[in-house]
Amino acid sequence: MAETLDPVTFEVLKNAFITSVDQMGEQILRTCYSFVIYNRDFSSALHDAHGHSAAQGNQDIAVHVGTLHFTCQDVMRAFAGDMHPGDVYAINDPYAGGTHFCDVRLIRPIFADGKIIAFSQSNGHWSDVGGSVPGSFDVTARDMFREGLRITPVRLFSKGRFCADVACLIAANTRDPASIIGDIQAQAEATQVCEREILRLVEKYGRDTVETGLAAVQDYVERAVRQRLAALPDGEWETVDFIDRDPSGPEGMIPIRIKMTIRGDTVTYDFTGSHPTIGSIYNSAFGATFSAVAAGMKTFFPDLPLNSGFYRAFSIVAPEGSIVDARWPVAVTGFLMPFEKIMNAIYEMWSRIMPERAIACAFNLEYLLTGGRDGRRADKPIYMFYDWLPGGWGGRNGKDGSNVTTACFGTGLMSQPVEGQERANPILTTEYEILTDSAGPGRWRGGAGVRKTSVMLEAEDSVISYICDRERAVVWGIEGGLPSMPHGLSLTRAGQSEEWLGSVFSDVPIGPGDTFSRPTAGGGGFGDPLERDPAKVVEDVADDYVSVARAAKDYGVVIRVIDAELCRYEVDAAATEALRAEIREQRRGWLETDPEHVAEAYRAGRLDTLDVVRRYGVLLDWDKGTLLPRSTAQFREQFAKRSAAGWRDA
Amino acid sequence: MQSLRVAVDVGGTFTDICIMDEATGLIRIEKTASSRDPIDGILAGVDKAGIDLTRVALFSHGTTVATNALITRRLPRTAMICTAGFRDVIEIRRANKEDLWDTYKDVVRPYVPRRDRLTVPERIDAQGNVVTPLDEAEARRVARILRRREVAAVAVCFMNAYVNGAHERRMKAILEEEMPGVPVSISSGVLPEIFEHERFSTTVVNAALSPVVVDYTTRLGERLREGGYDRDLLLLHTGGGVMTPGSVKDFAARLAGSGIAAGAIASRHIAGLCGYPNSIGLDMGGTSTDVSLAYDGQSRVTKDWHIEFGYPIRFASIEVLTIGAGGGSLAWTDEAGSLRNGPQSAGAYPGPACYGNGNRQPTNSDANVVLGRLGTSLAGGKITLDEGLAAQAVREGVAEPFGLSVPEAADAILRVANANMSDAVRLISISRGYDPRDFALVAFGGAGALHGVDIARELAIPVVIVPPNPGVTSALGCLLVDIQHDFSESYLVGAAEADPGEIEAEFGRLEAEALARLAHEGVADADIVLQRSIDMMYQGQWRSLAVPAPRPIGAIADLTEAFHRHHEREYNFRRDDAPVGFFRLNLKAVGVVPKAALATHEPTGATPEPSRRRPVWFDGTAHDTPVYDRTSLPAGFRLAGPAVVEQVDSTVLVPPGTRAEVDPYLNILIRVKE
Repeated sequence: MAETLDPVTFEVLKNAFITSVDQMGEQILRTCYSFVIYNRDFSSALHDAHGHSAAQGNQDIAVHVGTLHFTCQDVMRAFAGDMHPGDVYAINDPYAGGTHFCDVRLIRPIFADGKIIAFSQSNGHWSDVGGSVPGSFDVTARDMFREGLRITPVRLFSKGRFCADVACLIAANTRDPASIIGDIQAQAEATQVCEREILRLVEKYGRDTVETGLAAVQDYVERAVRQRLAALPDGEWETVDFIDRDPSGPEGMIPIRIKMTIRGDTVTYDFTGSHPTIGSIYNSAFGATFSAVAAGMKTFFPDLPLNSGFYRAFSIVAPEGSIVDARWPVAVTGFLMPFEKIMNAIYEMWSRIMPERAIACAFNLEYLLTGGRDGRRADKPIYMFYDWLPGGWGGRNGKDGSNVTTACFGTGLMSQPVEGQERANPILTTEYEILTDSAGPGRWRGGAGVRKTSVMLEAEDSVISYICDRERAVVWGIEGGLPSMPHGLSLTRAGQSEEWLGSVFSDVPIGPGDTFSRPTAGGGGFGDPLERDPAKVVEDVADDYVSVARAAKDYGVVIRVIDAELCRYEVDAAATEALRAEIREQRRGWLETDPEHVAEAYRAGRLDTLDVVRRYGVLLDWDKGTLLPRSTAQFREQFAKRSAAGWRDA
Repeated sequence: MQSLRVAVDVGGTFTDICIMDEATGLIRIEKTASSRDPIDGILAGVDKAGIDLTRVALFSHGTTVATNALITRRLPRTAMICTAGFRDVIEIRRANKEDLWDTYKDVVRPYVPRRDRLTVPERIDAQGNVVTPLDEAEARRVARILRRREVAAVAVCFMNAYVNGAHERRMKAILEEEMPGVPVSISSGVLPEIFEHERFSTTVVNAALSPVVVDYTTRLGERLREGGYDRDLLLLHTGGGVMTPGSVKDFAARLAGSGIAAGAIASRHIAGLCGYPNSIGLDMGGTSTDVSLAYDGQSRVTKDWHIEFGYPIRFASIEVLTIGAGGGSLAWTDEAGSLRNGPQSAGAYPGPACYGNGNRQPTNSDANVVLGRLGTSLAGGKITLDEGLAAQAVREGVAEPFGLSVPEAADAILRVANANMSDAVRLISISRGYDPRDFALVAFGGAGALHGVDIARELAIPVVIVPPNPGVTSALGCLLVDIQHDFSESYLVGAAEADPGEIEAEFGRLEAEALARLAHEGVADADIVLQRSIDMMYQGQWRSLAVPAPRPIGAIADLTEAFHRHHEREYNFRRDDAPVGFFRLNLKAVGVVPKAALATHEPTGATPEPSRRRPVWFDGTAHDTPVYDRTSLPAGFRLAGPAVVEQVDSTVLVPPGTRAEVDPYLNILIRVKE
């Protein structure tokens, strides 16, 4: 089809489509009410008359990529033959290709010459869509009925008239109805911004040309991807990543298996062998799985525009009822957890195909939800404190990983200012700093994570929930690089000692004076840490990214402190050489050590968490120190492939 | 007798000097090569232009010294002192990336490395209460460590200091005792606004630049004084005004991006002289184009900007959108067979193919040469362009791959370039609620006047203004400015609870500070203008909108109504039933610098003949087109397109179907639509 457009018109339309979508994004950022949207958990798309995506926003969050056309098409099915200019529809249905209930999409048909030529779609993460807990993330949910309001396609504007009845029904099922109405208005306006641009193009170029352009831009991207695939050797690559556990199953990590096959100009991702859905919200429906594959692969084609042409270049095999193809009414609000596993697994496979873009595993997204009544004010208003932290990204081929960066589910997402949080919530943060030694060691180390510690002030009826993972499926290194560290939250009740609550829990009561603290992991290491230039280790020590003690343990680099006040350190070259030789000799043996002995040493305080994970490849219940035998076996199997296989022995 | 006004704009390649004779209003331009130490280039230019510094009444300057120091990290060793537990605010940032997909493209490192970020125990809560008192012994110990490290500047950045700056002030006093002479910036002094990263980032930039710009302005001031200039050197800042060296020390960060605002100011001023209070500036150079917008005589201002992504500088700045499209932008074909334009550029060297320096890829300039729009002899004959090489590049790069004739291919290249620039203009105009049909387009920079009319047509802008010296218009901008300072303060109150008396008192405090600073700079009371605005939002929204506010403040209801109106213009909807909140009070304090009027010229009635004719391609046809020498065109002269007007620093294209006239200021106004 592209042949029918001259090159100028094609290029002009291609850029104009993207601009029209970016304008939607800009409008939504400036007018939204949901702080989650404001911090950039949103996306926008322009679709052709068939609902295929012709353009997505440059700043869109990765996690929505590749799902917007599904929801557009579901709306088309629902309202076939009954769409009119000025209509706007809403949908948030993960079982129809959406992500989770919080992501609510508003879709507007765009008419030219009395016929639909396109659709514009604005998708934003609302701060609440009802359900059993504030923020609509109940980790104990097993099915959708506790999760929140499912919106199958509804009409919110009919021929330009606001359907207040429907909108109010939706808003009334949430904890913040006034803001929800504000977001509906903001998103509906955003879709109109795109409509205005498309109609301008129709006026200038004519309906047929614009229609051809909407298809041609997809063909263009498909052609570009296929050409690159065809230039790669055919082959098969396989890997597995894990969710920590199934709360309703026995001990053992939950595998997500992917086999990637490149044949000619096609690529297939086959999830056969992945675990069935589990008894928590950490399941993914097909739309979200599709999105994870698209986003993971897009990372290796960063320059190409995103649209359905990209999505046509790959196919997915996902067994029905598996953790990557959950069906109604299985709970899927926590789809982000399988999502990030799929993304990182795809990073790992593509890293072998494109070593110049290779990257180890990134830290895991974490999401903290606290809510209750603010005791600082006489009227004790409801407060909702939702927080997410940046962490470290994986080491790269020739480059350390990025420090403190947003999770891979969307690198445009912004972390929140503590000063804003402290105004709005009865919470005082006492520490929010880079965590020394959080990065996975490697010739190119992972990026550093952080630790944030907060104390609850005057508050009543407050509970805390935490959505995270990789407390066991610890962030891994590649090419000989080491894992970083486990995720998990600790709570210290006023006047008591610290307790480990781990990476997933819900509705734990919390009161004034209680302190909660959680780290984010650094990224996994890339390459053998014993081959890291000692000069780089010294620099890391001067900046406190790495401690003197772990410089020795992880890198075999012995550092002498000359004058800490002046940041003067030096490498003891002879001692370093000796220590590195010693580690080389012993490290394969450490991985064979009886895990029970490791657990015992941990309980006795002879080994710390980082020793247990990085040296022995052992996973424990980090609170009690008891061994997780099945999880450890799974972890060691991958450790051998990703880390130990990349070590040189002399 | 002091009768000259001199403005200097130092760019990467050239230093432009604009000299205005106050008596006649006539302007003269001197262009000289920039030097390694920009001051040498400036003095060389002053010398070359034969300026007698004892006759200079005003010397103003736009400088890239601060911007370059940031980008190259040639900064003096700067330390940061933070609240215990918050050492890494400027490294954590907001944690987002600029390029969302390329995992090998990182946000650049912070301006202060982690080792030079120290902490002291202290804490103030969100209401301004002391939670942990400042540990004075520890504060002193940290100060001594910094002295041992011989740091050259310090930023003190404490949590919630925007509500209570007492700890920061005390820390500063201790530093001044322990390390006298080292400049100290405190966040509550630099920018008393909520949100730690934005405030700290601005404070750190301010601290790090302070020694750089103080050294620079002191040296330049001395050199000028040696030459006999006895007034204050005026420095252009991003807010679109100037400040004196007395303020530079404390607000060094305002000089970051100094040069960028100059073009926007010049464009606004020229359009205003022509009777267009609404204007869009299109400053197109060799590698990039800067787009700016003025509405009702005021430049659009933003606080959301940075020199490098991730490190905001929250001082009011004239909003300028820069895109990678210029005369040297390369046209290329991507792997999937699409015709692209930029952002890669052939740069100054080797430059476009027609320069004959070895580049064989076609650029916009080559396309303009092929179409006859750009002549082959430029800069008064100093530069010769090779038409054959231009045609060869266009043929091989675009015509052959797409099966087009060479002129068709050249036309295609320019249409893609113009569409990209139109998209940029669209972003700054239509998407902010402005209708381009109400605007004039001021086309300048070396290449702006070649593309201006095509872009205006694309956007239905009715008129294009080409200033007399398009290539050095930015320097003119430095000449047209007032002393200006911007103040702001967080004011987080719902409209329903807001007390006009309290707002008036807050503004009163800001105004007292403003008056003191302007008085310190020697501005007479009669020359002071104060402009208030309030950032407001619907409660629950996250972005605010600046709404002008009266003095005295008046009724709250009038303020909220003004907000509803602004919101509707900008975003196309209003929510009369939704509660409105205040976010921030802003004060712009201007010390008006009397401006000499630019010279006007009487129509002579002369009808100059074209210097020659040549075929120029428009819409697929070669038109026999007259070529005029701009210096020969008198005020009042009218001509109908097609025509080309050539001058030393630019070429003006007047396409068929348009009419142009020379106004009394010798601007060329091209009417695109009647």
